[in-house]
Amino acid sequence: MMLAAVISGFLVGGVAPWVIRYLGDSRGSLALAALPALLFVYFASFVSSVAGGETARMVTPWAPGLDLMLSFYVDGLSLSFALLISGIGTFIVIYAGSYLHDHPQLGRFYIYLLGFMASMLGLVLADNIITLFVFWELTSLTSFLLIGFNHEQEKSRKLAVQAMLVTVAGGLAMLAGLIMMAVVTGTFELSEMMAEPDVLKAHAHYTIITILILVGAFSKSAQAPLHFWLPNAMEAPTPVSAYLHSSTMVKAGVYLMARMHPGLGGTDFWIITLSLFGGVTMFLGVFLAIQQTEIKKVLAYSTVMALGTLTMLIGIGTDGALIAASVFLLAHAFYKAALFLIAGIIDHEAGTKDITKMGGLRHSMPITAAAATVAGFSLAGIPPFFGFLAKEMLLEATLDADLLALVLTLLAVGAGALVVAVAGIVVIRPFYGAKVETPKKPHEAPMAMLVGPLVLGLFGIGFGLMPGLAERTLVGATAAAMAGEPVDVTLYLWHGFNLALLLSVIAVAAGIFLFLNWNRVRARLEGVKAFSESYGPEAGYWRGLDLLNWVAFWQTRILQNGYMRYYLITIVMTMVVLTLYAMVTRATPQLATTLTGVQIYELAIALIIVLAAVFLGWTHSRLAAVASLGIVGFGVALVYVLFSAPDLGITQVLVETLTVLLLVLVLFRLPEFLDLSSNAVRLRDLGIGLLVGGTMTLLLLMIGDVQYFEPISWYFVENSYPIAQGRNIVNVILVDFRALDTLGEIYVLALAGIGVYAMIKLRSEDQSKGGPR
Amino acid sequence: MTQDLATIAPELFLAVSAMALLMLGVFRGRESTGLVLMLSVVVVVITFALVWLAPSTRVVVFEGLFIRDGFGAFMKGLILIGTGVSLVMSWRYIERENMAQFEFPILILFATLGMLMMVSANDLMSLYIGLELQSLSLYVIAAFRRDTLRSTESGLKYFVLGALASGMLLYGASLIYGFTGTTNFDDLAAAFAETRAAGEMPSLGIIVGLVFMAAGLSFKVSAVPFHMWTPDVYEGAPTAVTAFFASAPKIAAMALFGRVMMGPFGDLVAQWQQIIIAISILSMLLGAFAAINQTSIKRLMAYSSIGHVGYALIGLAAGTEAGIQGLIIYMTIYLVMNLGTFAVILCMRQKGRMVEGIDDLRGLSRTHPMMAAAMAIFMFSMAGIPPLAGFFGKLYVFLAAIEAELYVLAVIGVLTSVVGAFYYLRIIKLMYFDEPVEAFDRPFGREMNLVMGVAGALILLFFVFPSPILEGAEIAAAALLAG
Repeated sequence: MMLAAVISGFLVGGVAPWVIRYLGDSRGSLALAALPALLFVYFASFVSSVAGGETARMVTPWAPGLDLMLSFYVDGLSLSFALLISGIGTFIVIYAGSYLHDHPQLGRFYIYLLGFMASMLGLVLADNIITLFVFWELTSLTSFLLIGFNHEQEKSRKLAVQAMLVTVAGGLAMLAGLIMMAVVTGTFELSEMMAEPDVLKAHAHYTIITILILVGAFSKSAQAPLHFWLPNAMEAPTPVSAYLHSSTMVKAGVYLMARMHPGLGGTDFWIITLSLFGGVTMFLGVFLAIQQTEIKKVLAYSTVMALGTLTMLIGIGTDGALIAASVFLLAHAFYKAALFLIAGIIDHEAGTKDITKMGGLRHSMPITAAAATVAGFSLAGIPPFFGFLAKEMLLEATLDADLLALVLTLLAVGAGALVVAVAGIVVIRPFYGAKVETPKKPHEAPMAMLVGPLVLGLFGIGFGLMPGLAERTLVGATAAAMAGEPVDVTLYLWHGFNLALLLSVIAVAAGIFLFLNWNRVRARLEGVKAFSESYGPEAGYWRGLDLLNWVAFWQTRILQNGYMRYYLITIVMTMVVLTLYAMVTRATPQLATTLTGVQIYELAIALIIVLAAVFLGWTHSRLAAVASLGIVGFGVALVYVLFSAPDLGITQVLVETLTVLLLVLVLFRLPEFLDLSSNAVRLRDLGIGLLVGGTMTLLLLMIGDVQYFEPISWYFVENSYPIAQGRNIVNVILVDFRALDTLGEIYVLALAGIGVYAMIKLRSEDQSKGGPR
Repeated sequence: MTQDLATIAPELFLAVSAMALLMLGVFRGRESTGLVLMLSVVVVVITFALVWLAPSTRVVVFEGLFIRDGFGAFMKGLILIGTGVSLVMSWRYIERENMAQFEFPILILFATLGMLMMVSANDLMSLYIGLELQSLSLYVIAAFRRDTLRSTESGLKYFVLGALASGMLLYGASLIYGFTGTTNFDDLAAAFAETRAAGEMPSLGIIVGLVFMAAGLSFKVSAVPFHMWTPDVYEGAPTAVTAFFASAPKIAAMALFGRVMMGPFGDLVAQWQQIIIAISILSMLLGAFAAINQTSIKRLMAYSSIGHVGYALIGLAAGTEAGIQGLIIYMTIYLVMNLGTFAVILCMRQKGRMVEGIDDLRGLSRTHPMMAAAMAIFMFSMAGIPPLAGFFGKLYVFLAAIEAELYVLAVIGVLTSVVGAFYYLRIIKLMYFDEPVEAFDRPFGREMNLVMGVAGALILLFFVFPSPILEGAEIAAAALLAG
């Protein structure tokens, strides 16, 4: 059942183009929205049992016996995410039908969108780490396709690749971390890993595992310094931004950290890393947000802030912080998805994304304005909205943090002030104040586009006024899943007069001040923006790509230049290095110093070979070179003969003779030597030659401990008469013991003869026909 | 003797049929090319059936020269699939490119025979004979278009460098023989097991011999730094030949590499592990970085194959049964992806001429949506994006590496996967997001569509039914280590 629920998105997505074709854009999208709605109902059926502290695990064997299981796990954390994914997904599907009305590729859009939803559900519900990773990368993949959906612009193609690369890179690091966890704990199931928290924390590789997992989580959830891809991903159609890049996919990293918290969290390393990265991201995100003027960019950077906040809260890891994270997770999903959808409505109805070019839109679109106001208040953290509750708990959590409390609180207050300004920028500026001419004449959006923001706004108010509802259903179970043990949760909207409230009031006041002076603030920050554009992490990304191209270019230049001599040099030198390495590391340096039994004529032959070789490199005459090469070969043949291998010697002589003859014949027809190689090249070749020769000599001197095996000649001597009835041993060997060899040789010779005959015959035929010689 | 012959039935059949077809070609002349090619495919299919039907028990015949086991059967199956599909794909190509000579399929059959021998070698002698039969045939095939400079140049380069590599292999083999007195794999294994049990270090001669053999084999699998022939030969050789080069011989060389290292030298793992780790890392790095700004799809595939060999070698470097299983899975998936990709490349023709530029794929999703979808599947799979098959290949070798505590190897593998993803994604971006250029000539031919479709489906749906390949590889790996 769970498996069917997860993959249903792929199946329904597969038929989406036909649904759209037969039912039309609006009715088709409504029909498709039934799937996420049904899934929402299905997941909602788990709420009561999960809120009661139960968990459920469903396993389907995938590749049995190989640790591959399609296992799913339902607890508070995964259920919260699943409900958000299916719930918001319902509105997004309806909204997109209207937003992309008459888009020729709407069907394809739904394939990707529903595919994404299925992947995301799989990600948060997966218990098996391989399953988790598969779905993790599938979300990157569908996100890639969705960002590149409007691919008419060169920019959106480039940025689609960027988002994909950053998240895939992180995902692979995470995979390495996950596999290491599996090796350490001996299981591939997350629930089993988390059940024994001390195993991982006590292991020697704990730090490496944590770093790898965090790299994956940070890249996906856009933590600084990997945050740059998220605002760039705003090239995607707005429903996609609302769904993937604010409420679901970007939270996958947060989900991962939350999921890992029982097993990896709570150590100083974890607390400090997450708190600092999260805190900095939180502040940086919202700081960058107020520098933007495009509404989607502002929202994107404020999403970066939210992700930082969640990371920080998971890092702090106290019960209060985890509860705050659970609350913040829900609150943020409600208001941010709504705001994105509203941004899409403005773009759709008024024709611009630039905030400085809009104003007074409430007159023409009152309902949108109302929904925007609700979401904006929640974002700013004004009571009685759910966002207020989240912010209060955030401040309390930073104040109570075990480590770095002061730093984190300051960052949180700063971010709180800036986020109030952001709320003003995205809500008050476009909708209130004087009316500004927009490219299109604005009018109210259709119902399909409004239902999402309205319902999400209602949730924001509802949970704000009745926090007990959230507490009883999801928040407690989510926090318990993160903590790995039951957590005592009581939510109040009003916490009384305390330090957190005071800080909150300061933040709101400062935020209002910032908003009123937005234009001036932006002008002041121009320099910072320019600096971060040329030296920030994104510039690093582009430089990195340039570097890749540069490396590729030079490897072609140097290694793969098409000249065979360089290829040969590389191979030969590699062998020298490998051999020397083996000699140094694998053997005691022990040279055979005394060479006994060397005869004078052997030395003479050796000398002749060496002299011929030297002459070969020296001469400028081709014929002389060939002749001296021949001398080397014949010398070697003589050595064979002297060491009682006459057959080998004879073969060598034959081959040598043939080679020399062929070379002479071929080279004779070629033009004179052109003195191509310079002295430097010759010197280099000399060096390489000496090195290779020296290495081989050294090798031979070092392996003096050759074992000699019984020669097989005695076998022939003893058996040639008794077995083969012959006294001439050589004859017996040829025609008896190695009869098949001889047959083969005769056959080869005969074949060669036929070949030669055929060539001569063909040639004479050609000549008689007057063909070319 | 009967058992000997019965055991080598597939090889025997292939050899005899290839020679019969050669005679047919000689007597019927140039017009017989189509017939010979068709019959060659039939021969490959029958040989495949013979391999398939043979019992999978381990048998050593011909005085220990030849072995038949589960590992060999699996790898031979892959090789024959590679050969068969390559032959089918070259059908139209050789007609169009004016290289329709009956020697072409015959040479491929002989190369395949050499490969089967390599996989079943149980002795340094039979190893070398199989290897050379394969190599000599391949040299000729690479230079098959004698009238074009590129093809002849690539054939010559391949031959000279290949001869050097064979020389190194032989030198290594003679050192091994000199220090052990045997060339038989089982005897070698026993001798080294003894050395290891006694806690002794093998003598320097053996180690250097091992190094030389490893180097020669690395050349055959085109691992860095013995890879330089690959881009030049892939680019220079006719595309149908490149498709063949990238499939069957890679599998055979890799199988041989695994057989030699895990069989006779299995107890010397401490001696060769570092070498394999080094060439694996270098191959992955070079495969990833060098491919980036290539403009020819054939060169890109060459670097891609170097990279893939690097990943597969991770499995060998682990030196465990899990590692070999990873290697087998990797090569299986590699074969399918590669054949599919080359089917696409072979269809890249504009106005009757082959085009090879990566830019020629621009906007393919608009001009040929199905072909673009298939190519996208192959590229995503090569990039190792789940749930496509390529991911599982990587997964199993990484798993093996981490279990063998080769963390550096696994981490570099992961990093280079990211760089590799960059250029595979670029191709997808070109196909899906860019403005179309000229459409390719139609029709592609039914067999091309079939290869693309089947390969695409296999890669896409691997995750649904992974068991046959995963378990087949498990059995094959166990069979290799049982010896």
